[in-house]
Amino acid sequence: MATGFFTDATLCIGCKACEVACKQWNELPSDGYEFTGNSYDNTSQLSGTTWRHVDFIERESVDESGVTASWSMLSDVCKHCTNAGCLEACPTGAIVRNEFGSVFVQPDVCNGCGYCVVSCPFGVIDLIEAVGHGDDAAKYGLATLHDDRLNERKTAVQATGGVAGKCTLCFDRQRVGMVPACAKACPTESIQFGEIEELRERAKARVETLQQRGVEAQLYGADDVGGGIGPLNAFFLLTDSPEAYNLPVEPVLPSTRQAMGYAAAAAAALTLATIGWAIFRGDA
Amino acid sequence: MKSYYDRPLLKGPHWGSNVVTYLFLGGIMGGLGLISLLSDDRPEPAMKKLRKTTRYTAFALAAINPPILISHLGRPERFLNMLRIVKFKSPMSLGVWGLVLYSGAAGANALRELADDGVVPKILRHLAPNATVPIQALLGAFMAGYTGVLISATAIPLWAAGKRHIPAFSVCSGAASASALATLLSTLQGNHEVLPRLERLEMAASALEIAAIADFRKRGGLATAPLFEGRIGKRLRNYTILGGIVVPFALNAIGGAVKLPKSIDALRSIAASTLTLIGGYVLRESLIEAGKLSANDPQVAFRQPS
Ligand code: SF4
Ligand code: SF4
Repeated sequence: MATGFFTDATLCIGCKACEVACKQWNELPSDGYEFTGNSYDNTSQLSGTTWRHVDFIERESVDESGVTASWSMLSDVCKHCTNAGCLEACPTGAIVRNEFGSVFVQPDVCNGCGYCVVSCPFGVIDLIEAVGHGDDAAKYGLATLHDDRLNERKTAVQATGGVAGKCTLCFDRQRVGMVPACAKACPTESIQFGEIEELRERAKARVETLQQRGVEAQLYGADDVGGGIGPLNAFFLLTDSPEAYNLPVEPVLPSTRQAMGYAAAAAAALTLATIGWAIFRGDA
Repeated sequence: MKSYYDRPLLKGPHWGSNVVTYLFLGGIMGGLGLISLLSDDRPEPAMKKLRKTTRYTAFALAAINPPILISHLGRPERFLNMLRIVKFKSPMSLGVWGLVLYSGAAGANALRELADDGVVPKILRHLAPNATVPIQALLGAFMAGYTGVLISATAIPLWAAGKRHIPAFSVCSGAASASALATLLSTLQGNHEVLPRLERLEMAASALEIAAIADFRKRGGLATAPLFEGRIGKRLRNYTILGGIVVPFALNAIGGAVKLPKSIDALRSIAASTLTLIGGYVLRESLIEAGKLSANDPQVAFRQPS
């Protein structure tokens, strides 16, 4: 049975409970404190150590009644793609599809080559090259509780030269029948966890209801996203175009370019071999 | 044009000079495989000498490439993780296996020369059947080409836009660099008779390379800007296009057309081949560095090249 997430922007209140619950459950270190000035978003992006990230979009519209401001928030996450660029690229077999249909990185097999990082069309997975900011954490009174654990991780990561990190869809929790930490913590059910087919039906009903009410809503990834990627196991309901949430409009599965690449390389090699033969052996 | 506070959509490569060197040497190993095949089984002593030089050099490079990769991965055991599986979908996996097999073939061919030279017992010659020569050349073509496929089969828009061009000019640049290295070594050995042939091969490879790079610029669209513009574009123009292709081509053409005094001709060869090698390295380096910039531009990443 494949499970996944349906994340609904119309229900998100931007509380970041998912971000915090994910960091706590997965014992992910602080990424330091950076003030971006981009609305309430100081997390900025998904990374090797940030597996849920809440986008904050502020919009203004002007009409005869004046200026109205509106918000849209959305909790972004690894898409657990049907055809996953990261999984295909991984040379060690560290990235596998588990029994819940999620894309999972086995940290003990990963060798830190970083090929998955450039092969994700959504910019999700990243290397955890240095775990740190322990001092930052202490300064801002964050996560000091886990400092021992943090140092342990810091040593491990530095000794190994980095490993790839991303959302596991709470593989460990799912195995014992628990709901992923982010979905559990979400107070508005903006993040729904469940069996994929059922979630898709729910999402389609939801988007229909919203459209009937005149909301400009669209699903992202419930069906095939194109480019050879297929449907996403973590899909979204958006109220703006994908770019506004930093999602690609036309993502492409990188491996689809390989056949052409090998053909071009072979053509070049054959041409050079023929020329070389004429130069070196033409007289023989 | 919408974006999310202009934040990058993609994550760029975490690859530094060790990966650049790995890719560069992979290309040279590929070209040496070809030269080793072309000079195989020829009666002329000069050709014999060239054959030996390319075989020993190819084997030496095959031996130093794994440590370079390990310097990127952090720990030696991590290289072995790649040998758990063979994955046809992953150019990185195929490439490592290509390197392992290439090392085997290059080792066999080096052994054959050592046995002929009497450095090792003659009987060991039988460990290297004749087929290992064309096998090394075939694996070499793969080694030079897969690095291009490896980077163009990613989400980075600049690399993705070059799905035909990058593999093609990687092969050409590898062959040009290998000819340059063989020229350099032959000049230093005083093996002047082979230089005209090597230099003609280098000219052919560089001509194809520059044509492929120019076509990439013309057809690659917006995504190619990080490679051809700004600081990286300037470096690419100076060191690869001008210094690494145009100038050595001219020097090689002069060498082919006029008879220069021996010492001046040796200087000319050394200058041309050194410049070609620098140009080959800078090409790989610019590709990786421009890939990092390309990942930072969300607008080109929203609609990814097919
Ligand atoms: S979104 Fe990226 S990291 Fe997640 S499964 Fe797809 S390719 Fe892998
Ligand atoms: S960094 Fe790890 S998970 Fe990513 S491709 Fe390399 S071995 Fe696989």
